[in-house]
Amino acid sequence: MKRAAILFIFQILWMGLSAQEIDADLLKVKSRLDSILSFSTQLKLEVDISFINMPVKKAQMYYAKGKKVKFSSDDFVMLPKRGLDFSLNSLLEYSFITVDRGLEQRGAKMYKAINIIPTDKRADFSIATILIDTKLKRVMESEINTKKDGSYVLSFQYNTDARVLPDKVTVNFEIEKIRIPINFMGKDTELDRKKMKAAGTKTGAIYLTMSNYQIKSVL
Amino acid sequence: MQYLLKAEIYKLFKQSKTYYALGALFSIELLILFSAYYQGTTIIDLLLENLKQKFYFEGTLLNGNLLIYLILNTLWFHLPLILMIVVSGTLTSEYKDRTLQTIMLQPVSKWKYIFSKYLVAIGFTLLVVGLLAASSFGLSYAFFGKGDLVVYLNGLNFFDATDAIKRLQWSFLSGALSMVFFSVASLTIAILFKEATKTWIVSAFFLILSNILLKVDFGDNWFNQLFFAKLNDTWQYFFYYTINWQQVIFNSVLSFAYCMLFMGAGIYWFHKKDIG
Amino acid sequence: MIISGTNLSKVYGKRKVLDDVSIGCAAGEICGLLGANGAGKTTLFKILFGLITPDSGQVVLPNQSVKPIGGIIEKPALYEYLNAYDNIHLFASIQGLQLTKQEIKAHLIKVGLPTDRTDKVENFSMGMKQRLGIAIALLNNPACLVLDEPFTGLDPLGVSSLRRLIADLAEKEKLAIILSSHIIEELSKLCHTLFVLKEGKLVNAGPAQQLIAENTYVYNICAENIRKALCLKNYDVEYKGNCAMVTIAAAEVPTLIELLAKEQIYITSCTPELSMEKLFETNR
Repeated sequence: MKRAAILFIFQILWMGLSAQEIDADLLKVKSRLDSILSFSTQLKLEVDISFINMPVKKAQMYYAKGKKVKFSSDDFVMLPKRGLDFSLNSLLEYSFITVDRGLEQRGAKMYKAINIIPTDKRADFSIATILIDTKLKRVMESEINTKKDGSYVLSFQYNTDARVLPDKVTVNFEIEKIRIPINFMGKDTELDRKKMKAAGTKTGAIYLTMSNYQIKSVL
Repeated sequence: MQYLLKAEIYKLFKQSKTYYALGALFSIELLILFSAYYQGTTIIDLLLENLKQKFYFEGTLLNGNLLIYLILNTLWFHLPLILMIVVSGTLTSEYKDRTLQTIMLQPVSKWKYIFSKYLVAIGFTLLVVGLLAASSFGLSYAFFGKGDLVVYLNGLNFFDATDAIKRLQWSFLSGALSMVFFSVASLTIAILFKEATKTWIVSAFFLILSNILLKVDFGDNWFNQLFFAKLNDTWQYFFYYTINWQQVIFNSVLSFAYCMLFMGAGIYWFHKKDIG
Repeated sequence: MIISGTNLSKVYGKRKVLDDVSIGCAAGEICGLLGANGAGKTTLFKILFGLITPDSGQVVLPNQSVKPIGGIIEKPALYEYLNAYDNIHLFASIQGLQLTKQEIKAHLIKVGLPTDRTDKVENFSMGMKQRLGIAIALLNNPACLVLDEPFTGLDPLGVSSLRRLIADLAEKEKLAIILSSHIIEELSKLCHTLFVLKEGKLVNAGPAQQLIAENTYVYNICAENIRKALCLKNYDVEYKGNCAMVTIAAAEVPTLIELLAKEQIYITSCTPELSMEKLFETNR
């Protein structure tokens, strides 16, 4: 009897300790996302970078659990390296710890901010901050500082409360101004020199609008 | 007048040198097409270097549209050079062979004669540009397909395939007007200098000077706006993301006015001068 | 008069190329313009054609047709990369003439050119080019034909056949024809009237035979044994082989020939040697 009780208390303590490593809300969101086996959606891409003019592009996106995301398009499309991973799997792939940063306000609502810090050297990011809607159990925003590709801020918008996959994603990032050799083509000279000197690093954004989700999930 | 025109056209196409010129132009075009293709990957990599860090790309930019754009970039130097040789030759050869004298010994109106030469020169120029446009579109699409076009002009501009085709077509039209200007100028130079070699040298000089002056920035004043050399770049306006139609129309009308000016001066001088 | 140019003058820089020259030709008449190279013959013709405007004087072409005057200046200028047929067709079309195949052939025949040759004019001989040039000059039926040194570059056969052609054109088509040359022999056999041009001035003009006779003082008489002639002792004679250059007045020539015949010296030729100095004498 006494041994059983000690074992029991030990187990609870152990569980409590383990639970401290990964935030409960995060886990709830993750399990929700994990229930999706695969999905495909039509993407509408709008580029908002100061020195790039691009018309709105369309593409198709295919996600299957455990596999890399695939794209297809008739046109030429530019896709941000980050921000297309809605399942959080890329952040949670290797071992990590979470730190609760409290609540942050976005608009009229409050969301829970959690830091994800990878403990495995193989992870390609150094730290990520995720804002979770604890009530609706989904991700609202994530800021990822990658090791090699700079940092990204992803904002997610959902059309209805029930959805876990976003209807609109905004990807914000930093980008260096282009250096183009003069003798290349066209009317490049004049104005650009001045602008280029003033520039340095700039920010840009891509807006992805999803429609026509075809989702296969575990019920 | 129509007989004079028919006679001029007949003479132009009966001479082998016309076909040498056409052959040269098509060969150059083919050469540019394939060298552009081989260089194309490097060019695109260069343009997209900074972006590769944050993005990956789906679809290819190395397609027919990019190659037509690259052809366009180089076309407006070697094309007028050859055109000027052919067009000025229609008059200098008549001076050299003295067939001009024989013609003037017939009841032929002087100004009508030279005017018909100008008209045929313009027609021939438009024909050549049209043929080059058709062949560059045809060959580029046949070998390399269609797709989005990327142009570096005040930033990276990406154009949808259908949008790109329209812009390229407009560019050819605009370029054709520039070519007409050079052809007309070369005929006027031929009237002044009469002899073939002198005319070629002066015409080539005129062309090179125009190209150099094109690159020089005279500041934002009326000279920069109206100087004829600046108008030869009008085709570039089609590759800004938003086309400044007002500027394009203004430039085109001005180019046309310059053509009329050179042509009028030429006809006047020819009519006034003694033959022989 | 089909054509007349009166008191024509032209100055190029400091040089007076033509000084008060008058020339005229009637229908069916062949007029010759004799002058050394640089005398101003070509300039005069260019003025007659209207290619050059004279500084003074005027050209009158009474004929009101589309093409009152046709001709060739210097050498015939043709499109060498076309054949004879195409050349005629081209030159005809630019003056509004729509000639049929038959009509073009007729033009070729009129000047004695073959109708079956299709090769380019650059392969033609000089004589054939001259003929083609004349054919083109005759398009649209001008009343006057002006030919600038048409015998240049022709071989003797070419010269004689061209001479026949020109004589025919004057005789049968009643054209007024003006020829120029710097060789008197070419003109003397053909022309009715002669105009002599020296350094831009007209120094002599008149019926050809008369002009020649007036200015001939020496006759070249050839016979096998001419050196033995006794009657020649009365004259100033220069012997060359079987010929004697005798200074004698034209009227006395028939008598001399009779005298020679009496001595049984039968002449084979008697050629007047025109005195160019006399012909070109300026103080008249």
